[in-house]
Amino acid sequence: MNIDTSRRSFLKFLPLAAVFASIGGAAFRFLRPRISAATDSWLDVAPVSELAGPQPISRKVVAEQITGWSITTEEHNVFVLPAKNNQVVSAICPHEGCEVAWEQNRNRFSCPCHESYFAADGSRISGPAQRGLDPLPARVQDGKLQVQYISTDQATRA
Amino acid sequence: MRNDTGIHGWLQTTTGIVAVLLAVQFLTGVLLAFYYVPSVDHAYTTVSYVEKVVSSGSWIRALHHYGSQWLTVFIFLHVIRLFLRGAYAANRIQWIAAILILGLVMAAGGTGYSLPWDARAFFSTRVAEGLMGGLPFAGPLARLWLLGGSEISSITLSRFFALHVLVIPALIGAVVVWRLFRSQIVELLGPRDAIAGALVFLVLALWALKHPAPLGPAVTEAGADYLPRPGAQFLWLYQSLKYIPGGLGSIVGVVLPGIVLTILIALPWLKRQRLIAGSLLGAGVLLVIIMTTASYLSDSRDPKTAQQFAVQAAKEEAWRREPFKPATITLAATSTSDATAAGGPPEMYTKFCASCHGSHGQGAQQGPLKFPALLDVPAKPRRSVDDIVGLLKDPTAYGLQPPMRSFSTKLTEEQMREIAEWIVKLKK
Repeated sequence: MNIDTSRRSFLKFLPLAAVFASIGGAAFRFLRPRISAATDSWLDVAPVSELAGPQPISRKVVAEQITGWSITTEEHNVFVLPAKNNQVVSAICPHEGCEVAWEQNRNRFSCPCHESYFAADGSRISGPAQRGLDPLPARVQDGKLQVQYISTDQATRA
Repeated sequence: MRNDTGIHGWLQTTTGIVAVLLAVQFLTGVLLAFYYVPSVDHAYTTVSYVEKVVSSGSWIRALHHYGSQWLTVFIFLHVIRLFLRGAYAANRIQWIAAILILGLVMAAGGTGYSLPWDARAFFSTRVAEGLMGGLPFAGPLARLWLLGGSEISSITLSRFFALHVLVIPALIGAVVVWRLFRSQIVELLGPRDAIAGALVFLVLALWALKHPAPLGPAVTEAGADYLPRPGAQFLWLYQSLKYIPGGLGSIVGVVLPGIVLTILIALPWLKRQRLIAGSLLGAGVLLVIIMTTASYLSDSRDPKTAQQFAVQAAKEEAWRREPFKPATITLAATSTSDATAAGGPPEMYTKFCASCHGSHGQGAQQGPLKFPALLDVPAKPRRSVDDIVGLLKDPTAYGLQPPMRSFSTKLTEEQMREIAEWIVKLKK
């Protein structure tokens, strides 16, 4: 390659590189993910008087989360464990995040995705999940059981 | 023949400028698509989000917006330069590619204006609808195909989106590739092309930093006095349509440009090339310059128009300073709406009120009629439960106008109270 040719291609490359670099730099900032703040409001689960018996009780809580350009109101399944002093556990399987269901006749929680099983108190029985169902912060206010719905972070799954 | 020295050489760099501006449109367009949602209830929110929240979002969108206008101008100059050089005879592919890209870039601009779904986008979609509908013979059919139905709807927006981000860019890409591989020109871009392209980009980048791309009010919030104006590259068409009666607008806006582009594409096979292309391009330049100037003049000379534009600019400025308002999305089964603070609507509300004020008091719009939302009403004066019961009996006493009417013959006192007690719990 003679000097003239390489000078020509350098003169060609430099201005175009400058254009792409400026858009590329902006693109990095533009696409940067936005971490949404976890909601810490207390959500009503049920009146304490309704919670009794040996079986886990399935309830739905409706949580609001600001994600990107929307406030998403999403329904989540939780289980109240009256036998364990009304502890509330998330229905999200700690393995890969599917939703577990309560199997009344076999007295266990089962995950439909990868066959993890959990006992009636939420502890792990078998399967790829490495821990029991995650308990949620709960309290009793004016006779009502309330929880904070904090979704389990990907990083803490095992 | 080609003379590449001095100022004359720099005038030959339109290829480089068009190539760089096309690349900018592709890159910024891809970035905008990472946030944009083509749906009438979220398009405006997502564009606002890009403008107000996303880092560099306003700049990227301004690059795309003004870039489309600059691109049109430079392709036009490029075509004129090719004409002066006689490229239609010497290098057919280069000539045809330039004309095709001019037409495709105009089409991209036309479909792109609808996407933000602000008041301006809405009117631009209406004009596109009218231009299509007014076509001779095929008009009504073309209109239905463009809208995807009998009315402008979410389907229309999806169509414009698909055309704007998939179909038209793919066609432009195909033309560019064809031009690169079939043209006899050995070196597409010389150093001078690259430098000229980068310089134009630099000016565009600085312009876009200082001037954010306009965004009008949301369709639902635009008042009847809102004055829409199209982008600079369509002002000539906008102004021409003022002078042309009715359906003839489609001839001037669609048929005539189509015929001109077709003749220019066929030019390499025609006789009297210089005369035909010279008169078409000359007439085109004259029309665009005269009509664009006339449009600016008529807007700036009419004090009422000028005043309305000042009001709109002030409103947009104020909107930019407001914090971003997220849209509400509900991913819960309808059964749990009872679990929300207000609970489900009373039966009588659903029967008599929901058709206008929405199933959950969110308000609605039917054509020009706007029915107010019933959210946060206790924050307003004279809207206690007793007031609402009174209002349901005699709306005029509470300053309301038809179509709101009295329900004293339809509802019992108890039913009105039930509705009122439900409404005061509704929150935004």
